[in-house]
Amino acid sequence: MAKGILGDASLHFDELNKLRILDPEVAQQTIELKEECKAFVDKIAEFQKIVGSLIELVDQLAKAAENEKMKAIGARNLLKSIAKQREAQQQQLQALITEKKMQLERYRVEYETLCKIEADQNEFIDQFIFQK
Amino acid sequence: MLRSTLAQQGTPVYSVAWGPDSEKVLYTSGKQLIIKPLQPNAKVLQWKAHDGVILKLDWNSVNDLILSAGEDCKYKVWDSYGRLLYSSQPHDYPITSVAWAPDGELFAVGSFHTLRLCDKTGWSYALEKPNTGSIFNIAWSIDGTQIAGACGNGHVIFAHVVEQRWEWKNFEITLTKRRTMEVRNVINDAVDLLEFRDRVIKASLNYGHLVVSTSLQCYVFSTKNWNTPLIFDLREGTVSLILQAERHFLLIDGGGIYLYSYEGRLISSPKFPGMRTDVLNAQTVSLSNDTLAIKDKADEKVIYLFEALSGKPLGDGKPLIHKTEITEIALDQKGITNERKIVFIDKNRDLYITSVKRFGKEQKIIKIGTMAHTLAWNDTSNILCGLQDTRFTVWYYPNTVYVDKDLLPKTLYEKDASEYSKNPQIVRFVGNQVTIRRADGSLIHLNISPYPAILHEYVSSSKWEDAVRLCRFVKDQTMWACLAAMAVANKDMTTAEIAYASIGDIDKVQYINSIKELPSKESRMAHILLFSGNIQDAEMLLLQAGLIYQAIQVNISLYNWDRALELAVKHKTHVDTVLGYRQKFLEDFGKKETNKRFLQYAEGLEVDWDKIKAKIEMEIAKERERAAATPAVRASVTVQR
Repeated sequence: MAKGILGDASLHFDELNKLRILDPEVAQQTIELKEECKAFVDKIAEFQKIVGSLIELVDQLAKAAENEKMKAIGARNLLKSIAKQREAQQQQLQALITEKKMQLERYRVEYETLCKIEADQNEFIDQFIFQK
Repeated sequence: MLRSTLAQQGTPVYSVAWGPDSEKVLYTSGKQLIIKPLQPNAKVLQWKAHDGVILKLDWNSVNDLILSAGEDCKYKVWDSYGRLLYSSQPHDYPITSVAWAPDGELFAVGSFHTLRLCDKTGWSYALEKPNTGSIFNIAWSIDGTQIAGACGNGHVIFAHVVEQRWEWKNFEITLTKRRTMEVRNVINDAVDLLEFRDRVIKASLNYGHLVVSTSLQCYVFSTKNWNTPLIFDLREGTVSLILQAERHFLLIDGGGIYLYSYEGRLISSPKFPGMRTDVLNAQTVSLSNDTLAIKDKADEKVIYLFEALSGKPLGDGKPLIHKTEITEIALDQKGITNERKIVFIDKNRDLYITSVKRFGKEQKIIKIGTMAHTLAWNDTSNILCGLQDTRFTVWYYPNTVYVDKDLLPKTLYEKDASEYSKNPQIVRFVGNQVTIRRADGSLIHLNISPYPAILHEYVSSSKWEDAVRLCRFVKDQTMWACLAAMAVANKDMTTAEIAYASIGDIDKVQYINSIKELPSKESRMAHILLFSGNIQDAEMLLLQAGLIYQAIQVNISLYNWDRALELAVKHKTHVDTVLGYRQKFLEDFGKKETNKRFLQYAEGLEVDWDKIKAKIEMEIAKERERAAATPAVRASVTVQR
């Protein structure tokens, strides 16, 4: 009876006979719910962490990919310009070669005249010896 | 403050330069170069110089040459009359700068990634391809050893001139670094390194000595010993020219001209009014053992002559004056001071020779060549070589013109030089080797016969028998002709007779024989002078010796009637002789007397040939007596100085 009265007043006794406002059954369910919720939150947090690290990883990958892309573009440009550079370099070297060739030609002319002098002098010596 | 506007035009002026005399300016106008005198009415010289816009020009005050560079990728060298001397091959990029070295021997050319060093004749010594962008301007240091260039990429490029080379006989010297020279003895391949405290500015190697000037000191090395140079401090830093003679050398800097001995002693320092030392170069100054010649810059017809040892003007102090502008001068190096000769080329490219010593009277300036570009005296004997038009000519004995002018062509050696292309320059004439630089920069060595030098040597020591023997051995007409001229110049008539006989000049042999038979020393001397064409000297000599009749006779034989009569009247003797010969001459040619003086004297005189002949014989007898009375006269005709 008392139970009924208490029940009407929303008061209950638990197994330990302590006075409770909530129905122990409900309380039990609430606690269960609470625990389940906690587990759920934990799981969600873990999930978030995992997702976060995934995002980070993907970001890193993106960055790396971007880097590589830039590098590739750079290399491609370099490759394109190297032909031009080589051309310029070749031009410069060609100019230097022409210069050296001219110098060689000068030396060749000088050498030829010196050879001629040598021949002249040898002839002169021969003649001189012969005449004596 | 703006004084006046010289010129105005529709196109931009990219570059402008002063002329050497500061009376003209040169500026660009598109593809044209314009020389504008400062005087308002003077003629403007204008010519098309490039196929593209001209970007830069420079005018050198020492050699009077103009450089121009333009967008047609060429650089060109012009003379001040606008004649093209050199045009480069087209480059890959427009030439953006040109600049003369202060001494006018080199110039630098700048272009995109290009720096070039060229000789004044246009060919290129060196090419560098620095990473500079276009070089927009080039400036030389005042000593002509360094350049600075303003680069298109914001840098300033510095460059030093190195690897200059000097050669003399068996030595080859290269400036390997700014302060280091490498001496190579070609005979034994020995290499010496010469280190200097400061950078080398000028050097000269000749006559067994190397003279090097650095920014503070002067070093004198002997080729016999490279280890112990003689060093002395310079008065002013920048030596612009070193000239060497056998016994001493000349240093020219901004302040003056200094003559030093190889022992480092200052001998003299010649000066003349209006002297500007910065414009002197090897073409306008010439040094020999006893004489220094300098061409004036203000009046280019004038050559100043100095006694080297005292630094005083030579003789009466008057400079040598020619009728046109002179471009190049050279003194001979050997022989005695009294016979020092100077040769020079004038603006018309004629080659002249004259004696440096002038005894009161005006010495003859004799033309010995035409179209001469360049010349050089030999270092060991007075042999001259030069390039005339397309011929290479050696004057084995230039003095011939003073002895027997007809003989000169026979004393020459000529060789075709058209293979040396346009405008070659003689670099040196050492021993019997001539070195010529072609317009493309290559050196050409030529050998000339060694015999004339030997002949010179024999003659200078009066070994006439040896000289004759040499000529007989060589069997060359040129040698005999040289010997003939030398013998007459030294009044050795025996040798002259042999030499003239060998070249087949019978008339001259006969004249020499007739000289031999002359009774007195004086008349023999006089006739030797006559032989060389020195009529005045001969007459003077005879008059001084009191041989009036002979002097008159000389004039009669030369058909110099007026002078003969003048002498006869003046000395009151042989008037009838003169008149007699004159009559005979007129009769022979069937002419009538028109000369008033002769008519005047003929009036009062009867020509009696017997009397004349008697008088002449008497004179000759008198001369013979005199000669016999003076024992000093030698039996032989050979009269040596």
